[in-house]
Amino acid sequence: MNTQPHDQTRGDSTPFFQDNQAAPLSRNEVASLCMKAARGAGMSWGMAEEAGFAAAWLAMHGIDGPGYLCTHLKQAQGREWAELCPSVARGDWRAAGGRALCPIVLGATLCDYAALSDGPVADCSITLGKVDCPILMLPFLANIAQKNGVSITVSWAGGSVVVGQGSDWPETASGALAALPSEAELSLTAQQGVATDPPAGQSPKANTGADTISMLNTFAMRTTVPASEQSRAGAGSTLDDND
Amino acid sequence: MSLQDQNSSSETAAFRRPASEVMRLARMGSSHPTRLSFLRVLLRRLTDEDWVIDRPVWEVDAKGLGHAVYRVKGPERTYSLVAFSHDLPAEMRSDRVIATAWDATFTLFDGDPSPEDIARLGDNVPLQEAGRISPTELTLARANRSVRLFDHVVGALSQGQQPDPEEIAAVGYLMRTTAVYGSGKFGAADRDDIAARPELAAPFQVEMLTVWLIRAFTVDIAEHMAAVKGGDRTVGLSPEIRRMLGVGNSTGLGMAPFIVRHPVLLNNWIMAREEALARVRAQPGAADDAVAGMGKALDAAIRNADIWRSVHPVQVEKLHDLRRDLAMVSDKLSDWDTQQPRPWDALWTWGSETLSHEGQEALLALMLEPHGDLVDDLADHMGADEAATFRLNGSMPIKDLRAILESEYAWALSIDFTSPENIARFWYVSEEKLEPRLGERASEEGATLEQPLCIARLIAELYAALQGFDDATPVASLLLAHPEHRYTVRRAQIAQHHPFAEVHDNLIAADMLPIDLLRCKLAFFGANQFDPRSDRWVRINLFQGAPYPDDVQAEKST
Repeated sequence: MNTQPHDQTRGDSTPFFQDNQAAPLSRNEVASLCMKAARGAGMSWGMAEEAGFAAAWLAMHGIDGPGYLCTHLKQAQGREWAELCPSVARGDWRAAGGRALCPIVLGATLCDYAALSDGPVADCSITLGKVDCPILMLPFLANIAQKNGVSITVSWAGGSVVVGQGSDWPETASGALAALPSEAELSLTAQQGVATDPPAGQSPKANTGADTISMLNTFAMRTTVPASEQSRAGAGSTLDDND
Repeated sequence: MSLQDQNSSSETAAFRRPASEVMRLARMGSSHPTRLSFLRVLLRRLTDEDWVIDRPVWEVDAKGLGHAVYRVKGPERTYSLVAFSHDLPAEMRSDRVIATAWDATFTLFDGDPSPEDIARLGDNVPLQEAGRISPTELTLARANRSVRLFDHVVGALSQGQQPDPEEIAAVGYLMRTTAVYGSGKFGAADRDDIAARPELAAPFQVEMLTVWLIRAFTVDIAEHMAAVKGGDRTVGLSPEIRRMLGVGNSTGLGMAPFIVRHPVLLNNWIMAREEALARVRAQPGAADDAVAGMGKALDAAIRNADIWRSVHPVQVEKLHDLRRDLAMVSDKLSDWDTQQPRPWDALWTWGSETLSHEGQEALLALMLEPHGDLVDDLADHMGADEAATFRLNGSMPIKDLRAILESEYAWALSIDFTSPENIARFWYVSEEKLEPRLGERASEEGATLEQPLCIARLIAELYAALQGFDDATPVASLLLAHPEHRYTVRRAQIAQHHPFAEVHDNLIAADMLPIDLLRCKLAFFGANQFDPRSDRWVRINLFQGAPYPDDVQAEKST
């Protein structure tokens, strides 16, 4: 993908990875790139920040958050908000049109409702229906588990994962969710209990592929304005630097 | 921990300035460095903890090409600046972020680099944004020479002479940095991974350490080039002249969005400074040594204002105000009654009624200067755990959100956004090097890609959206119906508990001066000699007058 390794007209070095190389992005790079990509794919600024948060949280726990976000953005871009967001009613959060929910919107909204009776409080049982790339919900569920002192179970026909129990739950949960077919119907329950905040590794590799980074960059570049002589001239000094 | 949690601040509350006074652009654009500025925090620690600094590697050839390592050993850890020296043709010398080559490039390595580390860094650091560094690196930076002064100094030293002090004063540095990247940029260590180290807990400490070591390099490379040229005749810089040299920094709009994007951090910086001023004002008396200390600081400020040069019309006027105000402060000190109750508060009150913004903010710095024992601990509260304020409170009733907007953002709600001059500009990110820029809405393309830095207008839009909601409705419902306000609601909820989180001005107004944002941030770094080169581009000087690595040890042992 990289034909001009030293092209300095780009503002960060993430496009310079080679094809098969896993990219050791810092968490700040993950959060920043994913936030911009989510915005470029059509999320509001505040929701794009949530996408950056989720991807960085997963990367911090050794899971390829940027890869899952990229997969999700490719299928979600251009879809109407009403199709992506939950239609919140007690016990039933499925999307109005019955299509797969956006895991970022769902996760952020669950956090917003964390202390409200329609939300993921202790002893709740919520039908979520289909959720795209459900691994991306995990960072939000981890937040809620901590805040509400609950353990959260995400279930589907024939299986379930528990958020906030045991130190390796992110690995177990992400493995199980990654294997789910896209038509799986999910539901969520919460039980009172002390949640475990999983230990984050010191700068673990995000294991994000160069193709993913390239695609996220393509989304991110949609937030930028092509350079013009007027904009270039306006940005700098009006005096010479060679003094 | 933030300052709000402290009981001690209630005793000084009566002496604290309100955000409506402090957070105006005109005042922020008159900020002066203080003893709480980040480079001062670094220098205090280096001195107090007996850090040992050396230069284990100097492999630079007769053309000035090569590399060097500057090593700093603290109580627990070692940090090393790896410097790469290049031969830059004049036509490639640009301070803009769109430049592709520099006179020298640098990284701060976490520990003692091996030859393999240096080889790896040599393949990447000179490329700057187009290279990659790793979690063992903390910063990435580059610098260009001040051609005129560099050549003058090399020429003089090679002839066995000291450079002309007038020339030194006119420029103030041999090189200026054009970017110092930290916080995980280009693969570097994340801030979260190092923020728990006591020596790096205050903001921008790795960046300040990088720049301070670059300063030593700029002198070493000049002396090296002089020795190549002059051989045995060559002399080194005299300690007095060397001390007059800082490191320049050239910076543009890229820095402006930072303080808007980090409201909690901005709050904590300002809060620490304002609490420091309040503590000084609240003192019942004025100790003789503190009075003398302020007099000494005033002399230094007058000398600094004397050599401070700028041709930018806005700054020329401000410099005029500053010099006049400092003279007035000098007069005032001669009849200042230090025996009256709360003499510092009386002095401050006189200043706030008499001086321009420049003079008032300079007076603030002067008043803090002799009060290290009283205020230096505040530097421990200038960092921010931004993750802690990220999560929204969805349970908040609309009534409470509306109340926040009406109390914390009255300044924003009073702006008429139907008036063209109030929406004249838009902030955007250029495709070119992802540089933040400011466009004219009426004449430039790209306003549909506006960045959310127009806080006042976003607040006004949120306020309008709230009109359709019942008081008792939770914010969570609002956000479900209006995801476009999520960013603004997050800010408003932060502002509720962080009084200094927002700049109380319209950042897209026709008459907004981006350099005001830059000056505020740079003053917190500790920058002197603020010199705008346009309304959005400045040069400054860092570490001028400060000790060099060998001075720190020498001064400590005497």
